Amino acid sequence: MKVLAAGVVPLLLVLHWRHGAGSPLPITPVNATCATRHPCPSNLMNQIRNQLGQLNSSANSLFILYYTAQGEPFPNNLDKLCSPNVTDFPPFHANGTEKARLVELYRIIAYLGASLGNITRDQKVLNPYAHGLHSKLNSTADVLRGLLSNVLCRLCSKYHVSHVDVTYGPDTSGKDVFQKKKLGCQLLGKYKQVIAVLAQAF
Amino acid sequence: MFTLQTWIVQALFIFLTTESIGELIVPCAHIHPESSVIQLGSNFTAVCVLKEKCMDDYHVTANDIFWKTSRVTVPYKQYTVINRTASSVTFPNISLINALLTCNIRMFGQINRSVYGIRIISGFPPEKPKNLSCIVNEGKKMMCQWDPGRETHLETNYTLKSEWATEKFDDCKAKRDTPTSCTVDYPPVYFVNIEVWVEAENALGKVASDHINFDPIDKVKLNPPHILSVNNSKELSSILKLTWTDSRFKSFITLKYDIQYRTKDASTWNQVPPEDTSSTRSSFTVQDLKPFTEYVFRIRCMKEDGKGFWSDWSEEASGITYEDRPSKAPSFWYKIEPSHAHGTRSVQLKWKTLPPFEANGKILDYEVTLTRWKSHSQNYTVTDTKLTVNVTNDRYIATLTARNLVGKSDASVLTIPAWDFQGNLVESKCYLITVTPVYADGPGSPEHIKAYLKQAAPSKGPTVRTKKVGKNEAVLEWDQLPVDVQNGFIRNYTIFYRTVIGNETAVNVDSSHTEYTLSSLTSDTLYMVRMAAYTDEGGKDGPEFTFTTPKFAQGEIEAIVVPVCLAFLLTTLLGVLFCFNKRDLIKKHIWPNVPDPSKSHIAQWSPHTPPRHFNSKDQMYPDGNFTDVSVVEIEANDKKPFPEDLKSLDLFKKEKVNTEGHSSGIGGSSCMSSSRPSISSSDENESAQNTSSTVQYSTVVHSGYRHQVPSVQVFSRSESTQPLLDSEERPEDLQLVDNVDGSDGILPRQRYFKQNCSQHETSPDISHFERSQQVSSVNEEDFVRLKQQQISDHISQPYGSGKMKMFQEVPAVDAFGPGIEGQVERFETVGMEAAVDEGMPKSYLPQTVRRGGYMPQ
Repeated sequence: MKVLAAGVVPLLLVLHWRHGAGSPLPITPVNATCATRHPCPSNLMNQIRNQLGQLNSSANSLFILYYTAQGEPFPNNLDKLCSPNVTDFPPFHANGTEKARLVELYRIIAYLGASLGNITRDQKVLNPYAHGLHSKLNSTADVLRGLLSNVLCRLCSKYHVSHVDVTYGPDTSGKDVFQKKKLGCQLLGKYKQVIAVLAQAF
Repeated sequence: MFTLQTWIVQALFIFLTTESIGELIVPCAHIHPESSVIQLGSNFTAVCVLKEKCMDDYHVTANDIFWKTSRVTVPYKQYTVINRTASSVTFPNISLINALLTCNIRMFGQINRSVYGIRIISGFPPEKPKNLSCIVNEGKKMMCQWDPGRETHLETNYTLKSEWATEKFDDCKAKRDTPTSCTVDYPPVYFVNIEVWVEAENALGKVASDHINFDPIDKVKLNPPHILSVNNSKELSSILKLTWTDSRFKSFITLKYDIQYRTKDASTWNQVPPEDTSSTRSSFTVQDLKPFTEYVFRIRCMKEDGKGFWSDWSEEASGITYEDRPSKAPSFWYKIEPSHAHGTRSVQLKWKTLPPFEANGKILDYEVTLTRWKSHSQNYTVTDTKLTVNVTNDRYIATLTARNLVGKSDASVLTIPAWDFQGNLVESKCYLITVTPVYADGPGSPEHIKAYLKQAAPSKGPTVRTKKVGKNEAVLEWDQLPVDVQNGFIRNYTIFYRTVIGNETAVNVDSSHTEYTLSSLTSDTLYMVRMAAYTDEGGKDGPEFTFTTPKFAQGEIEAIVVPVCLAFLLTTLLGVLFCFNKRDLIKKHIWPNVPDPSKSHIAQWSPHTPPRHFNSKDQMYPDGNFTDVSVVEIEANDKKPFPEDLKSLDLFKKEKVNTEGHSSGIGGSSCMSSSRPSISSSDENESAQNTSSTVQYSTVVHSGYRHQVPSVQVFSRSESTQPLLDSEERPEDLQLVDNVDGSDGILPRQRYFKQNCSQHETSPDISHFERSQQVSSVNEEDFVRLKQQQISDHISQPYGSGKMKMFQEVPAVDAFGPGIEGQVERFETVGMEAAVDEGMPKSYLPQTVRRGGYMPQ
């Protein structure tokens, strides 16, 4: 079983990180038993809170770094170009049960991770010399990956949830440069907004 | 690498063993095993197998095989010829080796030829790596290190493995030059537990270390803070404020700091208390610093919970505290220059600059004030460290203060004496001369000396007095003479003492002493003593003092009186003890007991009065005091057999044991009558004979104890008459009592028993009933005997009470309780009477005798 989990769980994670995923998947949690490579730590929720705090503390600087790196007209038209209007963003209900909040957090982190992957990929092409932005995007993606692992560990160990259907944002590979920048800015604006809510909710 | 070497060696031998160029390369032999990595300390055996073709070509067999290691022939005793083609060599307990092992043949003509070879290497399998630990330097990737254990002497690969609970990371292979550490390729992700372990592997084995599981945030070593500034405060000259920039981690973890500081020239660091810097902050104000002093600071940080590592120290930064007013006035002195002008003189005032720790800032100038006696003062402001002024020959007071940006120091004061100072010295006056050296950097320590211009004899002698006067000695004491009357240095004292009629004796005493003991004095004598003090120029006597030595020394009288008193007390005590021990003898001879007939009682008697009461008596009067005993003298027939008596005595003992502690009406009572039934049951006839053969007295007791009316009257039979008084005093009777228990063959003629019932046994009937119920061990036979006894008593004692009748009507078997009750009641009657006697004067008469005298039965 452990070997199976060792193969399945990374596969799930890898699938989550694929760039440009398609339409939202149906949310049908599977009640299959799950196992982890080693036991989850007892302070898992505290770690999740710290991770959300870590992301929240850097979200604004990432947003600023992004729209600054894009150049005009972004810095002076944030309301128009970077408003957090992401229609298909997974919902979050702060007053739900811990399990429900963790499932929703899992979807949001998966969504953000995939979107951040798209943005990182686009920015390496659009702003190849914005190393600071690239580094910040990568480190944020690493933290999101760790957060996803912790949430999965919690869902698996406490609630025996081994699979959560997730949705992803639109694939930007076919968009033009401006649209790529705009979608990235909107996503990071949304990220800044939602991560503050999540940091408060846990 | 090792494999490559092996192949090269084998290839070399292949070439060596080819017979001709161009022919197929076929080795002449081969060695098993091909792999030759051997564990140190183990045995190793290699087998060389010759090929048939070689054997035919060279005409050799396995016997012709010999082995070499690095060109050294292995001793033949290690060889074993397995068969015609194979020979083996064994290396026991192989040591550290890395050598070429070759199989050789000795051909015809003593030509040696190597036919095959392998490289053998020895070493150890890897030990389990220990002390695995990891560190995450901020901004860098995680690095782990471990202790690989003993040297393996083999090529050993160390692989660091790591994984999350949900994901496994790529292995981190340690480099050859750093086999004890490895830095992972992936960036650290904090707040996710990671599990790490090390696997060590070489040709002899593979082993993994223990797994460690941790959150990388707990292994982080932060970058040191960067000190931005060190600022002072004009308001407080003792503080400096340190500000710094922190690690970016402070946005999501709490940090604590370690701040150290020192003065610029110091080598040791002072520590800011850790509790003051135990939370995230970006500035700190260090207090209690010296004013106008340059301090150097450094700071480091780590996680507030102590998990992880301290950062490196920051770069040092320095700052200077603000100035404060000089903390000390400068030392200064004067020098009077000779002046030709009349009435004036030139005085040079000099001082030295304050050291920095006293100046507390940059000294801007000095303010000098010269004040003549009762005159105006003159002020001078000087930037130099000296001032020369012309003053009159009067006495002056000079003051000096140093001034810096903040304020002035306290003033130093110096008196410049008047010019005529040197002409006023007088004789016979003590002067204290002080010389202070003046060096380039300030005044040295002064030296003092006392001196007289000219000495004279003291103007007054010392006054002597006694401090303590003994029988043969006296301690004298005196005060040092005041300086004013000494007129010189006191060299010694002389004490003169004499009696009224004797000669005067003189004793010299050193001037440093203030007391002296006169010895060999005569007791009870008047002495006169005086004292003289001497300088180099003469002496002066003091007033005379008289004292009288006492007749006795202190404690002499006490030494005589106390032993006498103690001897007297001891004698008295011994006399009292003697009288106490012999009180009976004394009492007999001095105040013998004289019976009072008015208080006589007839001792209780019954025909069955048992001799066994002696046993109880012994317990009651262990000290042999028979003053209160009743004596019933019965002429017993010595010729009568006694076994029954002894049986009844045993029975009594049994009953005593059974009822002990229950205060039973039968055996538990201490009343003598309690034993009566057993006697009557066993010796009824005998008692009848005794009754007929002796003069007996009896009485019916009517009185109760303390207003209690006895329920039954008991006949008491007694042989007690006045002549019996003598028998009680006879010691031989007492001896007989003692023999009752100890000797079966002796039945006492005189039988003693005490009727001494306690208050408890005079309690109401109901309590007796309860107590009788407890005596359940009494068997029915005993009870029957008791009843028979009562019946016989009743017949022989026609004055029985109504209760006695009721007892007789109760069937023996059914009425165990009531029967006992009646029985107890009867016995208690006697007991109550005896209790009355306790309050009466002791007599030699039987105590269970009714007041009023004896009554014949």
